[in-house]
Amino acid sequence: MPTPEPPGLAIGHRLSALLAPFAAFGPDLVVAVEDDAGNLIAGTPSDRPVVASAPFGDATAPLGRVVVKGTDAAGLQVATEVLAVALGTLAEAAGVDARAVEERTRIEAELALGRRLQRSFVPLVAPEVSGWALASHYEAAREVGGDFFDAFAPRDRRRELAIVMADVTGKGIAAALLMAFARPLIHAAIDHARRPAVALERTNRILVEERRAALFITALCCYVDTRSGSLVVANAGHEPPLIIRDGTMSLDEVAVGGPLLGAFPSIALDEARVTLAPGDTLVLYTDGVTDARAADGTRFGDDRFRDVLRDAASAGASARELVDTVVRSVRDFTAGEPAADDLTIVVARRLPPRPRVRRFGARSASPR
Amino acid sequence: MALDIAIEQAGGDRAVIALTGELDASNFTTLIEAGRKLHADGTRRIVLDLTGLSFLASSGLVALHSLIRILRGEAPPDPEEGWGAIHSLEFDVSGGGVQNEVVLVAPQAAVDRVLERTGLKRLFRVHEDRSAALADA
Repeated sequence: MPTPEPPGLAIGHRLSALLAPFAAFGPDLVVAVEDDAGNLIAGTPSDRPVVASAPFGDATAPLGRVVVKGTDAAGLQVATEVLAVALGTLAEAAGVDARAVEERTRIEAELALGRRLQRSFVPLVAPEVSGWALASHYEAAREVGGDFFDAFAPRDRRRELAIVMADVTGKGIAAALLMAFARPLIHAAIDHARRPAVALERTNRILVEERRAALFITALCCYVDTRSGSLVVANAGHEPPLIIRDGTMSLDEVAVGGPLLGAFPSIALDEARVTLAPGDTLVLYTDGVTDARAADGTRFGDDRFRDVLRDAASAGASARELVDTVVRSVRDFTAGEPAADDLTIVVARRLPPRPRVRRFGARSASPR
Repeated sequence: MALDIAIEQAGGDRAVIALTGELDASNFTTLIEAGRKLHADGTRRIVLDLTGLSFLASSGLVALHSLIRILRGEAPPDPEEGWGAIHSLEFDVSGGGVQNEVVLVAPQAAVDRVLERTGLKRLFRVHEDRSAALADA
């Protein structure tokens, strides 16, 4: 007859099983349960410093603390979110009195999941496109909006670059889920449509047929011919893209519009065709930029946004610097007010051709 | 910026909701909630007076659309319901034409731009003033 395990050990095993999925994060983000003295009860042992922790268990009978350890300095927010998720998982599944799990924890965990879900869908690295400089910034509001963007070469059209910018109306987990549903849908539609209007119209039809559209999506879809600089734009209810013309530094709005996605069974979208000359810059953004609000209630607004773009471009800002300048200006403007909406901006500049260097002789720095 | 929601009964199954301030992601659910209460109390048509509304964020569009659905007796999902919302995302998409449940009054230029840009304006009959809207609602 097997010796019965001490009760503490049994709990430890159960908790360890529950924490097992977190092992996937690797040694830089370790989740464990410790007792008050810091002894490991469950999870992975780690010498890394504690980034976030919270008491776990019934208020009258605490089981210990859930700790998140790691070294990733930039990962504090992630660690906090992982902690909230771990707390939710443990408290629910470990059979702790459900009342001990505060409603707030559940909501926080869902928000955390929403943010992680969303971040996981936003490309962190802009693709390398020869002759083009791409830069982007995405920032989630505390209560998660549903912004997303995408930039990729459509299947079998390697010369082309598709850029998508979209905003799920509303906020919270529902917006994040719709975003997660819509993003690959739009990608697939683009792969199979030669025209951006058709891609968005098909996406709309599927959203409506699948009845996922309790919320709406404003979406902008640009097909860029990366060699000629010609651009075809379809716009389903989104803020119009802007083009900063090199030289004059004038700002052109690509004025084409149409109904947003998910509200009407069938939509017909117009397309605008424009050409980016070398040095011209395409700017896509969501209303999180222009609607950003200062403590006194004033909005960042279209005019200020355009002034910032013009000034930065006139000062010779690169695509990356342009994005950073806008983000910094919005931050300075809101001065710590919590963001009500996600903020996303994508900048694509057609680079001027490199001056040709005529090489005499055989002195080449790079190997062939 | 706060959103002020003023509600008046307008006879029969009609009510007037006057919005003052800004309708955005931070408060659009309060409008949905007001619509729910009105529907529970028997309201079936709403005159939405936008005279005092200076700003409409895209989230506010969800509230406008939700009002229509609520008045039709459909239950839009609560955007703050969390995972539960996945199971309640079903609803009938509007037929694409003008509906009769919500009539708009005097949107300011900034608000009108958002309605135009997103194509949602086609859902609504829009009137210059409240009395014209009431005659139509």
